Amino acid sequence: MKIPDLKSQYVWVTVALLAYIIPGVMPLGTGFPMSDTTMEIYDIVKNLPEGSICAIGGSGVFAFDLESSAGTIPALKIMAENGVRIINVPLGTEAVQYEKFLIDASRIEKKYGGTHEYGTDWIQFPYIPGGSSGLVAFLDDIHAACPVDVYGTPLDELPLGQELTNWEDIDLWICPHWGFPTIVQYVTGERGIISISFAQSGAYSTYSPYMMSYPGQVYMTNGFLGGAQMERLVGMKGLGHAAIDAYQVLSILFVVFVALGNATAFTTEEEE
Amino acid sequence: MGATLTYIRLNLSRLLIIIGALAALGTWYLSVPMVDSVFKELNAWQVNISSFTLFTGLITISMRYLRAIQKRDSDVWYFEAYALVLIYVWIILGFAVGMYSDLYQTAYLSTKITLHIAILGQIIFFYTSGAYRTFRIRTLRTAALAISAVLIVALNAPWVQNPFPAASNLAMWLLNNPQMAASRTVVITGGIGSIVLGLRVILGLEKGAQRITEGE
Repeated sequence: MKIPDLKSQYVWVTVALLAYIIPGVMPLGTGFPMSDTTMEIYDIVKNLPEGSICAIGGSGVFAFDLESSAGTIPALKIMAENGVRIINVPLGTEAVQYEKFLIDASRIEKKYGGTHEYGTDWIQFPYIPGGSSGLVAFLDDIHAACPVDVYGTPLDELPLGQELTNWEDIDLWICPHWGFPTIVQYVTGERGIISISFAQSGAYSTYSPYMMSYPGQVYMTNGFLGGAQMERLVGMKGLGHAAIDAYQVLSILFVVFVALGNATAFTTEEEE
Repeated sequence: MGATLTYIRLNLSRLLIIIGALAALGTWYLSVPMVDSVFKELNAWQVNISSFTLFTGLITISMRYLRAIQKRDSDVWYFEAYALVLIYVWIILGFAVGMYSDLYQTAYLSTKITLHIAILGQIIFFYTSGAYRTFRIRTLRTAALAISAVLIVALNAPWVQNPFPAASNLAMWLLNNPQMAASRTVVITGGIGSIVLGLRVILGLEKGAQRITEGE
């Protein structure tokens, strides 16, 4: 018996229906295992002393970086609860908008009923051009590299800005962007600041050896799964959980379609 | 281009490259405050020049598109007109309401970001139908391709990882060893190529990079 070849449109409709629409309307609540690294990251973020400063920055493209937001939003919630202060350091042109999205989505600001007040508890820097050169300039002398915040307010007029001098004031660096190697090299490698990347799965598969190069200093979570793990530790269901639902179905569909394709090829050859 | 100008361009750019490279290398190997200061100063210049290139890009793209719109000899001139209008609308909006305002953010999220995410999301449809059509095991090579793709997808999936927690270790082993070995080959090759290219530029052998061949 010959199994007929499926038109691409049938594959697309099946994927849209089973992997996107149904899990979108009715969340499946897919279970997933916890990772030791995510637990370590959670402990690091949770145990930051009150008043310490965490830099959130790097460079990347917003649409790709959205995957990293699944882990970063829970981390922001933990830090806000513990009184950790935040400085956003965008090294890419879209990073400013993305970092605003993170602050808005985590609802940590006072205007959303949160704990953090702009200027005192957190600051958004403007886009710092120059890639790694810009990052080094920022780490060496924050006021010289970035004398104003994103609104154009001089750092000296912001209570948190007055406390910032150089990299020695930063206790932790979180990179919610694709460009993690720059952070590893200049923030952790040269200055010894612990860095965490809520990495996209593509970035994780490429950059995860940095965790072996800098044990106890560089940490990464794996894509939406890592984000979902962070969400579970904080007790929330966000983008990570939704994406895991979709991936659960899609991974089954992928295997089924590859098997079906091979069955079609096998029966066609047999008949010929 | 005159011979004198060619000579100046060649040696000036070579001098700048050598000073920049030595200053950056010097801070890595030497703990001399003077070297550190020189590097910091040059680095600040570099950051400023990077900011300036944004304007250069804007001017270049505007001139190019305006010329195309005036001549209308290209099939895509109306797309270029559309792009040009959008560029300036976004610039004016950013200046008028501030790039960090809620209005700008909402406009940005509702258009550019949503569309970009939709484009990325579409890939999975083509990926799945492509896998259905191409991962058909006929030879050893297609078997290796199909089995590794299915393994990576399945080993990272909760329906495999939940009953078999060791599956994630196997997935990581595949990513950290065979995959990483191949991708590092590409990175190392590129790195060595960059060093060779850098040396050729400094020694004046890579004339094309310094645009000094125009006068020849």
